[in-house]
Amino acid sequence: MIALSMAASTLAQAGFPEPMGQATLAHYLFLSAVLFVIGLVGFLTRRNLIVMFLCTELMFQAAGLALIAFSRFHLEQTGQTFVIFVLTVAAAEAALALALVVLLFRRKDSLSGEEWREMQG
Amino acid sequence: MSPGPWWASEARVGVSHNGSGRRADHSGSGRVLDQLINPFLLYLGLAVGGIGLCVALPRRRVNPQAIGAVVGAAGIGLVLLGLGLKHPDQLPNYNFYIFGLIAAGSALRVITHPRPVYAALFFIMTILSSCGLYLLLSAEFMAFALVIIYAGAILITYLFVIMLATQAPTEQDIDVLADYDVESRSPMVAAVAGFVLLAALTTMFFRGAAGMESPARPNPDALLAQMPRKISNERVRESLFRSGELGESETVTAVSPERGMVTLTGLDGSREIPLPAELSIKNVESIGFDLLNDHPGSIEIAGVILLMAMLGATVLSRKQVEFEEEAKMRQAQALAAAGGVFSEKEVRP
Repeated sequence: MIALSMAASTLAQAGFPEPMGQATLAHYLFLSAVLFVIGLVGFLTRRNLIVMFLCTELMFQAAGLALIAFSRFHLEQTGQTFVIFVLTVAAAEAALALALVVLLFRRKDSLSGEEWREMQG
Repeated sequence: MSPGPWWASEARVGVSHNGSGRRADHSGSGRVLDQLINPFLLYLGLAVGGIGLCVALPRRRVNPQAIGAVVGAAGIGLVLLGLGLKHPDQLPNYNFYIFGLIAAGSALRVITHPRPVYAALFFIMTILSSCGLYLLLSAEFMAFALVIIYAGAILITYLFVIMLATQAPTEQDIDVLADYDVESRSPMVAAVAGFVLLAALTTMFFRGAAGMESPARPNPDALLAQMPRKISNERVRESLFRSGELGESETVTAVSPERGMVTLTGLDGSREIPLPAELSIKNVESIGFDLLNDHPGSIEIAGVILLMAMLGATVLSRKQVEFEEEAKMRQAQALAAAGGVFSEKEVRP
């Protein structure tokens, strides 16, 4: 309990915050790995295209969390800057993927990923 | 984190420095991992989490999703507990546990909920709780950008597409779920693959985290030196005047942001005081500086990516109006009946 309140007192202040411990970094990295794997498993198992693309967004989220955690650990801003580019790619991916989903639904009247099967060369 | 200086706590984590400051060799690969968490506890927690994930995935017959979620959460909690046990002095803020469990739990719900609308709403919850985590990591700008872009823009697009691309419910059967929503594709294999990947990822992460050196504490005002507008003598003088540190007859003669000091010269000689805190670099300023100073080319590329995505989405989702198509079809049929050049097959889209 004392350790908890001590950690709470070192919340981010203005300017550069205190350096972060390795065990604290490991907590964030573990959470990011868990989010990534949940997204991956969802992508493999779900058959609804919209949910599959949601799962890729989940994996982007995990990558962003790892980037920010490392940026905080190294006290470097570049990690945060790269999350902006992750957001860019996620937005572009969402636009294209959803256009494809709408196209598929118009053709087949179904959202199942297996309907793409005939597209393979 | 801990009250003492950072390098003092390194000894407890077990990273040894030699003269060159590089990381010393560790004899066994297991020992590096052992510094952070007991490997047995780690793999046990991951296995429990994998089983929970497998149980929670939707399937048609029996569906003990709640049990799966509880087991999965127990696995994650076991690992977090194991991480905390070894270093009680380096626990993250308790808000981490709250936001982290909400994020992981709602991410689990994203992939297990049979209805895509609810999956999207749970994804918004994941986004919001990872915003909380970003705030804990003092990335305030990215936290708000995430809310605006992800929860505000991308997820709303998803919800629109879900609204556009679902079968309208019939009168008898309002709660109809499609086959592909209810039955997941080989949940067992996917859960095992995910568990193996998670084990590999966390092992490498933790070995890296245990062996990583902490950077030296940077000078918080070093970045100020590159922002001459912000630290012009005039602004420093105004700021000091407001806080009442500037004496009657004193003037600001020199500002040295590298040292974080301001030199004031008055009638009775000169004195040095630290730079006023309100001039220090904020998160938004440092991100903007990093973005525009170090990655100007990447911004251009990001712009091109967004433009291409916009063009691509527009071209892909272009649609001829239905009645036009029907009219064309009728016209073609009429032509074919009259022995025209078009057969029906060629016109049909």
